[in-house]
Amino acid sequence: MTSLTDGGAVEPPALEVRGIVKRFPGTLANDDVALTVRSGQVCAILGENGAGKSTLASILSGLYQPDRGEIFRRGNPVTLRSPREALGLGIGMVHQHFRLVNRFTVAENVALGDPSQPFFMSTPKVHRSIAAIGDFYDLPIEPSAVVADLSVGEQQRVEIVKTLYRGADVLILDEPTSVLTPQETESLFATIRKMTAEGKAVIFISHKLREVREISDVVTVMRSARVVGTVPPITAVEELARLMVGRDVDMSVRRRRAPGGDRVLELSGIHVDRQSRRGGLTGVSLEVTAGEIVGVAGVAGNGQRQLAEVAAGLLLPSEGRVIVGGSDITGRGPRAARTAGLAYVPEDRRSTGLAPSLTIAENLQLTSPHRPILNRRHWHSHARSLMDEYDIRAPGPNSVTSDLSGGNIQKVLLARELSTNPLAIVSASPTQGLDVGAIASVRKLLFEHCARGSGVLLITEDLEEIMELSDRVVVLYEGRIVHEGPTSETDVTEVGLAMAGAMRVS
Amino acid sequence: MYPLAPAAAVLLALMVGAFFLVVAGHDPITVYRVMMRSSFGSTPAVINTLVSATPLILTGLAALVCFRVRLWNIGAEGQLYVGAILASGVALWFGDRLGAPIAITVTIFAGALGGTLFVALPALARSWLGTNEIITTLLLNFVALLLMNWLIFGSRSYWRDPVGTFPQGKRIPSAAEFPRLGDTRLHLGLLVALVAVLLVWLMLTRTRFGFHMRVFGDSEKAARYVGISARRMILMAFLISGALAGVAGAIDVGGLSRRLDPNSLAIGLGYAGIIVAALSRLNPGGVVLVAILIGGVRNAGTALQALPERVPMEIAVMLEGAILIFALSSEVFIRYRIRWPWSAHRAITGSPFAAIPTGGDRA
Repeated sequence: MTSLTDGGAVEPPALEVRGIVKRFPGTLANDDVALTVRSGQVCAILGENGAGKSTLASILSGLYQPDRGEIFRRGNPVTLRSPREALGLGIGMVHQHFRLVNRFTVAENVALGDPSQPFFMSTPKVHRSIAAIGDFYDLPIEPSAVVADLSVGEQQRVEIVKTLYRGADVLILDEPTSVLTPQETESLFATIRKMTAEGKAVIFISHKLREVREISDVVTVMRSARVVGTVPPITAVEELARLMVGRDVDMSVRRRRAPGGDRVLELSGIHVDRQSRRGGLTGVSLEVTAGEIVGVAGVAGNGQRQLAEVAAGLLLPSEGRVIVGGSDITGRGPRAARTAGLAYVPEDRRSTGLAPSLTIAENLQLTSPHRPILNRRHWHSHARSLMDEYDIRAPGPNSVTSDLSGGNIQKVLLARELSTNPLAIVSASPTQGLDVGAIASVRKLLFEHCARGSGVLLITEDLEEIMELSDRVVVLYEGRIVHEGPTSETDVTEVGLAMAGAMRVS
Repeated sequence: MYPLAPAAAVLLALMVGAFFLVVAGHDPITVYRVMMRSSFGSTPAVINTLVSATPLILTGLAALVCFRVRLWNIGAEGQLYVGAILASGVALWFGDRLGAPIAITVTIFAGALGGTLFVALPALARSWLGTNEIITTLLLNFVALLLMNWLIFGSRSYWRDPVGTFPQGKRIPSAAEFPRLGDTRLHLGLLVALVAVLLVWLMLTRTRFGFHMRVFGDSEKAARYVGISARRMILMAFLISGALAGVAGAIDVGGLSRRLDPNSLAIGLGYAGIIVAALSRLNPGGVVLVAILIGGVRNAGTALQALPERVPMEIAVMLEGAILIFALSSEVFIRYRIRWPWSAHRAITGSPFAAIPTGGDRA
C-alpha cells in the first residue's frame, strides 16, 4: 500500500522495505510491513505504543535483523547486519533514549565510532565539521561542551549532528519530541525542513497526531504489528486516530469541575538541596484542594521527581513543611504520609510502585500495615475483588506482576493506591507508555476519585495531558515554580516558554 | 520454573569430571560407581553423608538469607570459625555447672552469637558506609582462620588442651555434648539444621519481616517506596546469616569434635554453602537436598583414595567446583538466548524484548 504524493517518481526510493516480519518470544512485532521513504520527504510512522514502530526503526537502522522481508536502498537490495553497516549505507537513527557518553564532550561523542578517524583523534577537524553542520542545519552546539552539562534538547541536537556527521541521508527519529518543549519542537521541525530541502529523507516516528500532520509529507499508520494505511498528512485527526486505534475514539474526555473544597495537600516553602545530577527545589509552595487536579508541567529533570518524593514522604526537604489533610508529615516517612491519606503513584510503576517479581496479591498488600506475623488468609480474596473492581486482566491473584501488560500493571498500582480512598493523590506520568484504552481508564479513575473528594497532583511532561485534565497549571523550571494559574486562563505557548525558562521569576 | 537446571548442572559437571578421569587414566564409570556406593550405597554410607550434609545445610541457609536480598556474604567460613570458638569457649567456661539440655542450648546460642558478632563488622560497614561486602567478608575469613589456629596451635590459650604434647582443643564437658543416634556419628545437629530450615522458610513466607525482605530483594526502589529501611534490612540479613553460620560451627563443636578442632572446621564449609544456596535456587527446602548431594560428593572423596588405583580425592573438590560453575551459568541460559554471530538472520538478539523471561519459545 504505497502511495506517492509526487506522482510517478522515476528515481528509486531512498529506502524501501517489503514484507518485513519480526517475531519476539510471545509477540509478533512486525507482520508483513512495507514502507517507502523518498528523498526530500518526511515519512511519518504513526502508531500506539506496541504497534511495532520502534521494532521497524530498529530493523531499518540495523539493530535487529528481520525474520523475513527485504530492504532496498535506492532500489538495491541490502542486508543491514549492524547499526554500523546501516550507517555505512547512509541510514542513521536518533534513538528516543540517547546513546551518548555523558562524560565525553560533544566532539568526542560525534567522533566516537567514526571509522575514518585515525588512532589519534583529530580534534580540530571534528570541531570544524560540527560547527559547519550546526550552521547549515540550525543546530547550534558547542563542540567542546561536556554532554552531561547539556539540556535534553541540546543532547538531541548532538545525536542529530552525530548522524549527519557520519554522512546519513536517511534519518530515523524515534519519538523525537517526547522530551522537548513546544519551542524546542518548533526548532526541531525547522531543522527537519532544512534536511529535506537538502534532499535527505526523514522517518519521523510518533504517536502524536498533531505533530505528524504538521511535519510529514506522507503518513504510514501502524497498528498491532501491521501497516494499516498510508495516507496524506491532511487526513483529519479523527480519521488518523481511528486508523491508529482501530475504532472510533472519543478525543474529548471531560469532567464536571468540582467546587473548591478543603486543602488536602499543602507544600510550603520546600527546599531540597541540589545533589550531583539530581535537581533540587527552591522555595516551592503549592496546595491542592479536594476535588481539584493541579498539573505540574516541566521538562524532565527540573525537580518534578523531588517534588513528588517530598510530598510522598520519601525525601526529606531541608526546609519547608508538608501537610496532608491537616496533619504535618514532614520528615515522618512514607508510612506516615500514607496514614495521613496520601497516595503516591510513581512514574516508575514497574519497579518502584510495585515489586515486579511478586504476585498481584502480594503487591496489593505492599503498603498495608501488617502485624509481625502475616495473616495472608484474606490476601487472595482481597486481590480478586480489586481485580474485578479495577478491571485488571490477569490469570489470577497469584500471577507475577511483571508478566502483565503495561496497562494492567498500572491498574494494579492504581487499585492499591486508590482503594484506600486517599485524600490526596500524587500521580507522576500516570498514562505514559499506555495504549489509548488504558489511558482512558486511568483518566476515568482519577476523575472518579476527584469527584469523590480527592485532590490530585498530576506531574507529567505530557503538556497535552496537563491542559486536558487539570484545573490549575504549575510550571517547574530548575526547581522553582515559574508559572502558576488556572488552566482555563492559560495558553500553551505561555506554558512552553515557562518550561524553557523564559519566564523565570526572581 | 526450571527445576531441571540444577540437575543438568550436576550432569554436566559429572561429564567434565569424567573427561579428567579419563585423561588421568581412570575409568569414570567405576569411579562414579564407587562414589555412589560410598555416599549413598549403604546405611552407614547414608549416615556419613547426612553427617557431612548437616553443617552444609546451615551454611547454605546462611548464604541463602543474604543472597535473597542480593548481599554477597562470602564470610560464612569465618563466621563459622568464630561461632565455633565462642561455642566451645562458653561450653568450657560453664563446665559441669549446667545440665545437659541447657548446656547444649547455651552452646548452640553461643555459636549463633559468635557468628553474629563477627558478621556485624562488615554488616555495619556495608549498611552505613556502603563498603563492598564481598571483599570485607572474604578477607575476614582469613582473620578468623588465623585466630582459631593461633588459639589451638600458636598459644597456650583457654581453648587448648593443657595436657599432651600434641596441640589440640580442650574437650568440652559431657553435658554440652550433643546426643548421637546409637553409636553412629549422626548427632543432634541435623535436627538443629532442619529446624533452622523450617524457621527460615517460615520467616520468608509468613512474617512481615520476610515479606519486606522479599520486596527489598526484588527491588530496592520499591522497598524505599514502601518505607522499608534499607540499612535495617541489610543489617538484619547479615546478622541472621552470620548466626546461621555460627550455629554450623557450634554443632561441629558439640556434635562431632567435642572440642575446638581446626582440622574438622576448616574444610571449606562456608564456601560450599555458597554452592548449596546457588544450586537450591534460594529455596530453603532445596538447601536440604543440595546439601545432601554435596555432602555425598565430599564424603566420596575419602573413599576414592581407598581404591586400588588410588584416584585422587581432589576429584571430589573439582566436581563441587564444576557443579557451581554449571549451576551459575545455567542461569544465563535460562534468561538469555545465545546468538551466534555467523547466523545473524535466524537468531534472536539480546534485545530488551528477548530478555524478558517469558518461558515461551519462538515459533
